[in-house]
Amino acid sequence: MLGFFMKLSPAARIAAVILLVYVAVALSGPLWAPYSFNAVLTGGPFEPPSTAHLLGTDNLGRDVLSRVVYGSRPVLAMALSATGLATLVGAALALPLVLQGGLADEIGMRILEILASVPPLVLALLLISGLGNGNILIVLAVAFLFAPRIARVVRAAAMAVVVEDYVTAALTRGEAMWSIAVREMLPNVAGTILVEFAIRCGFAVVFIGALGFLGFGAAPPAPEWGLMINEGRANINASLWPVLAPAAAMAVLVVAINLFTEGLARAIGDAPGTAP
Amino acid sequence: MLRLVVTRTAFALVSLVIVSALIFWCVEWLPGDAASRILGRDATPEVLALLRHKLHLDLPGPVRYLQWLGGAVRGDFGTSLAANQPVLDYVWSRAANTTELAGFVLLLYTPLSIGLGIWTAVSRGRAVDHVASILVILGMCVPEFVVGIVLIVIFAMTLHWFPPLALIDRAHSIGSVLSMLFLPAMTLTIAMTAYAVRMMRENLIEVLDSGYVQMARLKGLPRWRVLVRHALHSALGPALNVTALNIAWLMGGIIVVETVFSFPGLGRLLIDAIDLKDVPVVLAVSLLLTVVYIFCNLLADIAVLLLNPKLRHAG
Repeated sequence: MLGFFMKLSPAARIAAVILLVYVAVALSGPLWAPYSFNAVLTGGPFEPPSTAHLLGTDNLGRDVLSRVVYGSRPVLAMALSATGLATLVGAALALPLVLQGGLADEIGMRILEILASVPPLVLALLLISGLGNGNILIVLAVAFLFAPRIARVVRAAAMAVVVEDYVTAALTRGEAMWSIAVREMLPNVAGTILVEFAIRCGFAVVFIGALGFLGFGAAPPAPEWGLMINEGRANINASLWPVLAPAAAMAVLVVAINLFTEGLARAIGDAPGTAP
Repeated sequence: MLRLVVTRTAFALVSLVIVSALIFWCVEWLPGDAASRILGRDATPEVLALLRHKLHLDLPGPVRYLQWLGGAVRGDFGTSLAANQPVLDYVWSRAANTTELAGFVLLLYTPLSIGLGIWTAVSRGRAVDHVASILVILGMCVPEFVVGIVLIVIFAMTLHWFPPLALIDRAHSIGSVLSMLFLPAMTLTIAMTAYAVRMMRENLIEVLDSGYVQMARLKGLPRWRVLVRHALHSALGPALNVTALNIAWLMGGIIVVETVFSFPGLGRLLIDAIDLKDVPVVLAVSLLLTVVYIFCNLLADIAVLLLNPKLRHAG
């Protein structure tokens, strides 16, 4: 673990530390946050930063710092679970297809391509407005959008592995498909999957934030950063803090994820994807 | 080559039809149907049934999908439930606004990304390159709505150079339209340019290190000539590819940025129509955005095919 950390570039090491801080804040926040996220009138509305309210208060006199701290919980939980689910599904679809080859692979690949040709935000908005905007539904919607895109990346990596002798040997031995996929191929595409997972985590944070900002994410008074930015926007003339604090929290998180991903990719020896 | 392009195009069309069915199916889930929305809560079951019949809502889903698709192909998207006018007229004026915005974005994006891409590649390892790479990371990572709000805080609220909202329907002169468009256009340009600069830089560096560029340099050709004649030529494919992908990305970007600046374009229309459960408008806008998205992804693929000599002569 420590050895791997030392292999990272300095920028990626700083990013890793920042990410650990975010995780620590999300886990321990409720223990030390000065106020509850929805306690109103902890001070007057739009108070500037003070010792009582380090990041000021919002229009309802809620403590901005506490809300930003609590807000790290849904964003991390949702981004990680959506990306994790999408990666799991993507890999589980791609590896058997590549092993199978032939017509099954061709058809599967085409279906994945079609699913990946929907503008993600448009489909997410339609899905959420139809199904409802519970956190679990948002996670499922994001996973549904990401899974085919991840599957394509995993498939491309697996194509290079499937022609290796050890896979041919396993096939000749008559091993079961799942066993070859998991024991022979997975270890050799794990690096690609890990990097893809990390890249997508960054996308997921932005994507879920955008849904909250557009009013398609968590409902008020949830301490969700995108939602907080949208709510604070209406009163931006009265105070900048309710907008800038969650915006900065989100921006730093995404930048840290991306820097860490680049370092990770370089340490594993795999170029990071550059397409949006 | 031609065969590859034709297959890709045909496949894009098939994808479009399937995706349009997916969109239609999603919109079906919107709570309450059009008839109950038009008539309100007090409608009697008889009147509801009558209107459902008139609107063909009593037909099965697949039949209605085919009717809708048939209309859409002929440019008939039905009547907006909220505005009570043909969807097409309604969508068209918003699409014109969004096209203006996108045009302005491309006007800023093209010179910026080419200029910065070349500059960072030739000054690799120097201070300019390091500063640029930090800006590129920021531009790529920071969400559009955060960038937009920061631009509003700096350029509208503090410096008062540009208006904070882009309500271009109320603008009267070209000057005021341009000043309203500037901040939203800049927000979109920042994200797109960041991707393009990164891509151009990586590609140019690869080309600049290649044998034939070294050769041209050793022949004693002037630096700018090597750059323009040899290096830029091979960077063209990747640049077109990333630009097409960027325009495809815009189909989501405009939804967010138009909301930030209250810009009366397609993205904002989609959000408003979903709020109002205006099904025909939701369908029309979603389909329009999907068409552009799929078309741009197709162009990106073709750009790679056309400009890669190995693939150009295949198939």
